[in-house]
Amino acid sequence: MRLSAPLLVLLPSLVLFPMAVLLPALLHGGGFDLLGQFLLAALQPSLDPQVLVSLVKGLAVTMGMALLGWATSLLLGVLLGICSARVVWSTIWGVTWPALLIRRLLAVPRSIHELIWGLLLLQVVGLQPAVAVAAIALPYGALVARVVSDLLDALPRAPLEALRAGGAPAGPSLVTALGPALLPGLLSYGGYRLECALRSATLLGVFGLGGLGTELRLTLQSLQFQELWSGLWLLLAVMLLLEAVVGLLRRRWGMPSRLQLSSPGVGRHGRELVLAALLLLPVLVAVGRGLGVEPLHLLHWQPLPPFTDRWSEALALPWLELVGSTLGLTLLAAALAVGLAPLLLLLVAPWPWGRRVLQLIWALGRLLPPPLTALLLLFVLQPGVITAALALGFHNLGILGRLLLESAESTAAAGQAREEALALSGAGARLSLLYGRFSSLARTYLAYGAYRTDVILRETVVVGMVGASGLGSQLQEALSAFAWHQVLALLAAYATLTLLGEDLSDRLRRRLLNR
Amino acid sequence: MAFQQVQVAGRGRPRLDRVTFQLRAGERVALLGPSGSGKSTLIAVASGLISPKAGAIFWSGDPPARSGRRRRRQQAAIGTLWQDLRLIEELTVQQNLNAARLARWSWPRGLLNLLLPLETEACAAVLQRLDLDRALLDLPVSQLSGGQRQRVAIARLLRQEPLLLLADEPLASLDPRLAQELLRLLLAQAEAPRALLLSLHRPDLLEGFDRVIALRSGQLVFDGAPGDLAAADLAELYDADQVDPLRRG
Repeated sequence: MRLSAPLLVLLPSLVLFPMAVLLPALLHGGGFDLLGQFLLAALQPSLDPQVLVSLVKGLAVTMGMALLGWATSLLLGVLLGICSARVVWSTIWGVTWPALLIRRLLAVPRSIHELIWGLLLLQVVGLQPAVAVAAIALPYGALVARVVSDLLDALPRAPLEALRAGGAPAGPSLVTALGPALLPGLLSYGGYRLECALRSATLLGVFGLGGLGTELRLTLQSLQFQELWSGLWLLLAVMLLLEAVVGLLRRRWGMPSRLQLSSPGVGRHGRELVLAALLLLPVLVAVGRGLGVEPLHLLHWQPLPPFTDRWSEALALPWLELVGSTLGLTLLAAALAVGLAPLLLLLVAPWPWGRRVLQLIWALGRLLPPPLTALLLLFVLQPGVITAALALGFHNLGILGRLLLESAESTAAAGQAREEALALSGAGARLSLLYGRFSSLARTYLAYGAYRTDVILRETVVVGMVGASGLGSQLQEALSAFAWHQVLALLAAYATLTLLGEDLSDRLRRRLLNR
Repeated sequence: MAFQQVQVAGRGRPRLDRVTFQLRAGERVALLGPSGSGKSTLIAVASGLISPKAGAIFWSGDPPARSGRRRRRQQAAIGTLWQDLRLIEELTVQQNLNAARLARWSWPRGLLNLLLPLETEACAAVLQRLDLDRALLDLPVSQLSGGQRQRVAIARLLRQEPLLLLADEPLASLDPRLAQELLRLLLAQAEAPRALLLSLHRPDLLEGFDRVIALRSGQLVFDGAPGDLAAADLAELYDADQVDPLRRG
């Protein structure tokens, strides 16, 4: 028996069966009242002017951190991406090993989550606005570099070879042959990273690095749910506006959709693009000044506690259990996110309003930082892998669900014609969607799900830190105790796991897309 | 199926302008007209893809249902052969053939069809009617040749068991031999009570049809037996001055 494409999409949702068995045992009666109050407060957010002013200020700080971190990461990422592209080295110097070496080195900053970067920098240079910006820029820069080098190496070489054969120098040939073709993919990914940066800046705030995230955590811990919801609704409005603007520009400038990042094209409206980039520069300077970001302050390190040789303690940690629970958490959260999005879309298919309800739920999933969701879940569930997986799964369901819905509503996709044909032959909405649309979407969606799984592995540290489980909670303890030997060992373990996961998901993605 | 004063709006002039005709059980009707005359629009209206701005369509005396089971039953009685075939590349031939039964199946059964081969004998029987080997049943559609794909698309239509077969220029972009073969197959499937409405861009392929309907600029200009269509009628129908070359039907 061979599973067909549409069923493959639904396969991860089988995780609901073990979840249904295990969840009741985790319930504790304590916090249903609180959870009820939290949900009710959504309809009655605080409109107190003092609260609103404080939230808007926090939001402005978060947006500023996100914008600066994103812009720095793009700059870093493009430069490092060009330096780690095989095509660049082979064209200029005739060798490719330096590109591979730089790629390997960049794997280290990429594998460490921005939250860990933030907490490490906080210990080293103290609390200052530049910490959050650097915490976003470092891992994001390495991620953008990887995407840029992948895109450059995947572009057709024929135009470049033709220019070189005509006697053009290496530099101008590279810019002319690869630059315009690289741009749409880069812009599409860059837009996506801006959305991610807003989420990351909020998350960093939850862990004390300032901005709206800090306000959200404080209001949750003091059970001021109405104030919490005022902040959440504000953030939702900004997030949806940003997603709409990025989506609009993606279409206007002829960028590929997120599920088809490698589709060919050279983009449109080049002058607008240059103008937008020029306008962005003064905005960045103004935001930097407004937030008081001083990059040079990052070089002034605080005296660190003495580094003692206590490696035996680090080795004595329950590594098998820590790694096992981290992997379990990753797989559970990924299965929930990847499987639930198509399942829910199928269930609501007959009702047009059903999709709009899902859109709202998924927007809330993207909006709520996973540690806040985990804290909310702790009102009614005991801490552990499943609780953490639910929090992480809900957040990623928001991201995957939005992408799937965009693809399912796209009239340009091949599946649209087939879905329409099936509906016109009298098939119901669910089966038309399943056969017509999911068949053609299956491979790209699952390939994106594989990528998301390695992002989830990186994110396990975030919910782990709320005391749920895995390497994350141990890392939090080690950081609090200034146990640097443990911190280093745990970071090495995290980086190794993330890189292995990245390699596995890359192989799976290639297999899915090349069949 | 009956069209009564059907009108579909377009830019500048209507895409269909007060078109009235009736299709009877077992009739094989060719739809002729130059590019931009409204042939594709008429087929789209008949298939339920677009709704007319004015006028009415009746199916066995009833207007089309807006939604629900009655609508699905009406839709299941109309089978369309699309120009791009719209086969599901990722599924096997058998799963594609069974996709034509989805209107009659519950959704758990539709789900099961993706897991296990269902109604194998019925699927093999429709393949046989089109001279295709049953060994094709397990093959993914993406592995079929062009000719096999055409036949599988017709087999899927037969699996649907519609009362009206619609085909929008199915012979366009086919070489003459393949076009003749496909036309022969389609005409052979239209036996009472099943009717066939097929749009054509070549008036030399009218052999085997019982009736011809001709459109020009969205208006019905001829409705009669192929033998009654004189060379002068055709010349007038395809008169280049009457046709806006930028608009397709």
